[in-house]
Amino acid sequence: MIPARYHDGLSSRVHDVALSYERTEGDGALLVHPAGSSDVLVRWPAQNLVQIAARRGQLRLGATDAPDGARVIVETETDIARIRATLPLLRQRQRQESARQFRLAMIGTLSLASIILAYILFVPLLASRVVHLIPPGWEEGIGATVAEQVEASLGGAAGLPLCDPDPQSLANRAIARFAAEALAETTSPFTPDIRVVRSDIPNAFAIPGGRIYFHSALLNAARTQDEFAGVLAHEIGHIAYRHGMEQLVSTAGTGALIGLILGDMTGISVAAGLGATIIDARFSREAEREADRFAALVSQRLDYQPAGLAALIARVSQDDAFGRALALLNTHPLTDDRRVALEALSRERPTGLEPPFTPAEWEAIRTMCQAQATKVKRP
Amino acid sequence: MAGEISGTSAIRFWGRRSAFALILLRYYVLLVPTIGLYRFWLTTARRRFYWGHTDIGGDTLEYTGGAGQLLVGFLMALVVFVPVYGLFFYLSTQSASVAIIGYGAAAVLLWFLFGYARYRARDFRLSRTLWRGIRFDQAGSAWVYALRRFLWSILTLVTLGLAYPFMAADLWTYRYANSWYGDRKFGFTGSWKHLALPFYLAWAAMAAIVVWAIVIAEQTGLLENPLEGDPAGYFNFLLPLLAGFTVVTFYRAAEISRMFSAVRLGDATLTLRFSGLRLFWQYVLFAIALVAAYIVLALGGFVVLTILASEAFAGYGVDFDLLLRAMQSSTITLLAIIFGYLLLFGAFTYVHELFLGYGFWHLLANSASIAGLDTLLDVRARAEDKALAGEGLADALNVGGY
Repeated sequence: MIPARYHDGLSSRVHDVALSYERTEGDGALLVHPAGSSDVLVRWPAQNLVQIAARRGQLRLGATDAPDGARVIVETETDIARIRATLPLLRQRQRQESARQFRLAMIGTLSLASIILAYILFVPLLASRVVHLIPPGWEEGIGATVAEQVEASLGGAAGLPLCDPDPQSLANRAIARFAAEALAETTSPFTPDIRVVRSDIPNAFAIPGGRIYFHSALLNAARTQDEFAGVLAHEIGHIAYRHGMEQLVSTAGTGALIGLILGDMTGISVAAGLGATIIDARFSREAEREADRFAALVSQRLDYQPAGLAALIARVSQDDAFGRALALLNTHPLTDDRRVALEALSRERPTGLEPPFTPAEWEAIRTMCQAQATKVKRP
Repeated sequence: MAGEISGTSAIRFWGRRSAFALILLRYYVLLVPTIGLYRFWLTTARRRFYWGHTDIGGDTLEYTGGAGQLLVGFLMALVVFVPVYGLFFYLSTQSASVAIIGYGAAAVLLWFLFGYARYRARDFRLSRTLWRGIRFDQAGSAWVYALRRFLWSILTLVTLGLAYPFMAADLWTYRYANSWYGDRKFGFTGSWKHLALPFYLAWAAMAAIVVWAIVIAEQTGLLENPLEGDPAGYFNFLLPLLAGFTVVTFYRAAEISRMFSAVRLGDATLTLRFSGLRLFWQYVLFAIALVAAYIVLALGGFVVLTILASEAFAGYGVDFDLLLRAMQSSTITLLAIIFGYLLLFGAFTYVHELFLGYGFWHLLANSASIAGLDTLLDVRARAEDKALAGEGLADALNVGGY
């Protein structure tokens, strides 16, 4: 007889009981007797017994056909050892339960892993499909918002003033013609709006909706029209492929996925932000390569060396240690393989093409941010 | 082996921190290969530890919930959250004014849902708690609770916190008026008067501290120009900050003592003497442990960095350029960064659970006693409440709690 406590699961009364084991043919049963009596309070067949998780030094037993809360509780190490020895079934049940939990965790993990894998493999593809469903008008609206934010954050209160506000000037007309020719063989719904603006940061970027910002510091660093045309064609490539919008869609998707992993769908956790940045950096590198290829494609019709793009970016980032420090998460890293790819693309070009700009036009573009510095001061 | 079933009985918590640390560690390690999914098992193991080491009148509490239920609940919450997430995305692409209004509305909605989630989570925990073979339960409507909490919180905000004792009393009353042990109903005899004295004292103290901080800011010129004032001014803020923290901690202890002491279960009454000093000490322990854990992690991180980018550490000092180049070039380094971040994040929650979570439960259980426990010998079980599948929304909203 083993002393124990018994809860019948129907009332909160505590029974002090003694346990015994009834060995019958085939299967045995656990008998619960009131303390100091040989009456049988309840009889639990061994095969119905369930061991409930409990602290060390306590054994809790339930039974499948008893009320949910019915428990037999034993609290002495030697008694627990005796029961375990008598009922090897308990350990077996416990192992089955562990295996069940393990399977559940495995299935869950595998499905989560396949979602992540599918996401990483297909989101660039998926994002480019989704992007085609987004009406151009909506994207232009987003572009206007982005432009507002970008001008405020890069240019401060003054925004980013245009170098040459006259759209009919020689330089602006030449640039617009180049952009139209570059987009001529695409199905892009946007009219490119190229803004050469005054800024000390050597940069050029495209935003959703067809607008491109080309900073004066980058233009002034350009030595040939190949360099200028290469960078501009690259940015027009972003417009043609709607990369800006694609990035927005994939960032949203990544945020949702990280939320799923970390169990925080509100996405306020820092982890979500960091993880999203790292995953999205991968997508944007792919976008850069795509835009490079676009620049090379345009150079099959107009006479410029797309490798000039690499030369210009390399020149402006040479002394920029800060820029290099950020390059890990940067969206425009000029990697060696990108440079090699561009140089290869530059070699396979037909001869006898027209240059993108006449000498007079290129001279006007080259000096557009120097000559009219006073003009933009107008309110 | 019979437990003492006398007039007054203490609640005892037997769990040892070292044992808890090992259990937690095992589950935290398994979080990595399961991509975080093991958190449902972690939650279950944690609750089994707390419940299974807490004795009331000689009988241990039992947590009957399983990890699978939490997993299913989380998946169900996702169904709610995916459209909300889509809405967030849509808003982020709108013009600034629309986005601000939209985000504001979404934040208000989340704040409302928070109350719902907490009530449901409490329901889940109670209905999976067994004592002497009888289950606890929570009835009432989570929506009603969420609405009450929402409206009260607005009133509290408008009155600069002065309405808080009324809010607390109302919500505690609602929670306990709808809580059950078997067929025995809980009750709450407290009112705002229970909280008034400590709360308004603490409120006045906090107001004085805020004035103090403003005076410091004024003297150091940080008020006019937060970025260019005397940097020593920021150090001067430490004292008011510490004072504020102390006031809040001691007030919390007083609130816990007074509110829990107003909880009734039939004729049984709960009494709690929660020590503010001990609660404060738990925070001190937590801070020490966190600093220690981060020092260990920083040393480990330094070693890993030296191995990954050994050329940068060759010679004297650190070649920052080489280090950066090494970091940019390798995927291993990128993985090391992600892993390092997860370690930092994990270390924080681990230390938090081990010191604040454990410490709080330990203090709570061991400072409580129940009078009239023998009136609870004839409680009958109620029909099983099987409607709940996990506390999904609570998990998705990252609502804390045990």
